[in-house]
Amino acid sequence: MNDAGPVTRALRNLVHDGGGGEALAAGICCASVDGLGVTGAALSMCLPQIAPAHEVLYATNATAAHLEELQYTLGEGPSLQALATGRPVLAPDLRDGADAWPILLSELRQHASVGALFGLPLRWGVIDLGALCLYRTTAGALAGAQLRDLLVAVDLAAVLLLGARTDLGDGQWLDQLVRGRAEIHQATGMMVVQLGASALDAFARLRAHAYAERLPLAEVAHQVVTRRLRFTADT
Amino acid sequence: MSGPRYDRERKLTMAFVELADTLIDDYDVIDLLDRLVSYCLELRLADAAGIMLADSQQILRLAAASSEESTVLELLQVQSGEGPCVESYRNASAVMVADVTELSGDAGRWPRFSAAVARQGAFRSVHALPLRLRGEAVGALNLFHGSPGTLPAADLALAQALADVATIGILQERAVHRGELLVGQLQTALNSRVVIEQAKGVLAQAGGLTMEAAFDRLRRFSRSGNHRLSDVAREVVNGDLAGQVLGVSADRP
Repeated sequence: MNDAGPVTRALRNLVHDGGGGEALAAGICCASVDGLGVTGAALSMCLPQIAPAHEVLYATNATAAHLEELQYTLGEGPSLQALATGRPVLAPDLRDGADAWPILLSELRQHASVGALFGLPLRWGVIDLGALCLYRTTAGALAGAQLRDLLVAVDLAAVLLLGARTDLGDGQWLDQLVRGRAEIHQATGMMVVQLGASALDAFARLRAHAYAERLPLAEVAHQVVTRRLRFTADT
Repeated sequence: MSGPRYDRERKLTMAFVELADTLIDDYDVIDLLDRLVSYCLELRLADAAGIMLADSQQILRLAAASSEESTVLELLQVQSGEGPCVESYRNASAVMVADVTELSGDAGRWPRFSAAVARQGAFRSVHALPLRLRGEAVGALNLFHGSPGTLPAADLALAQALADVATIGILQERAVHRGELLVGQLQTALNSRVVIEQAKGVLAQAGGLTMEAAFDRLRRFSRSGNHRLSDVAREVVNGDLAGQVLGVSADRP
């Protein structure tokens, strides 16, 4: 799309370059700093097997890394709130009194000045993938076009991260997923029961099967939904 | 006073009272959209109906359907790239196809949509009404009829009113008050739809149900207990609510 903002454009270039979760995390963090004029960015990923643990995949500077780690230590902050609610969390002016995260902010301010914080969830259906956190030393909202660019980029990053988590090196699944084929999600749900697994693991199995059989993801999903294909935990 | 007309007015009143109730406090956009497409059928505006919302890439995606039958879902999903909904969304205006059989001579317009409608043979006319917002659109309401013909002006106006309620519902949801952009709202609604599809799969597998029956259980559980549809769906996939959703429904045939 021609009207994509700088962050989205940078991320689209990454799709062509390939790379795993860390390259992706670095890409969106750097693109956010360059394209949105924020001071720093960090991306953390959920580790569902040992929930609610998180791993900071990338941070553009030491403050951003500290900020992200601190949130999970203290149990409060924009990334956690974004993950809990599934919605963007925007705190453009932290001077305006009623701080949502008093402990986090008092800790942070011992090391650096933080005027604005933004937390963006990365999720696909029930699958929580992680969160992106941006900060600025001075207060100030993101402009409408910037926020739109960021939300589009985060949406794309979520799908790419999902791909990286269930990586097989193929590419065709992305388009089908983005176009929202209902049967892919229905099949994932059926496999949650068949395998007794999480949605993420079920989806990984679905992709692995499609890849091994060299079939489109939507076709394998259709076989599952029409009950011509059934997965079991031990196969 | 004629029976059918009185019946419709009564249903219309009930629909708007119910909608007003829904919009009061912490409501669920996906639940609201689901109710809106149900009203389209109850008010005899369509034989099948669906709502498509634009995602962040401006591709239309399914948000709600009056029937979870695969025929209806396919006709909606095939419109992610072309079709009456896309045209209605792009031009922010109503699109009316009085007779879909005439589309076959016009295959250049929407080849994939036309082929799907012809193959299924269930519907003869299609209408798409934009979810309007300040001269643009954020999605479209799609109405299908088994018989040919355009909708009477009064029906069209009523359908557009329901489409407008959908837009208002999306805009008014709690998060907008915190200064979020519309694109975030649409994203959240579409993500809820993904969760609902996953939950349908869980229930279909665990209860040996069709996708349609699975959705029906989900909807009934959510409405009978006054829970948000998307919360129930999430708990079904992530938690241990599946047994309860299947159990409660079994007691109420």
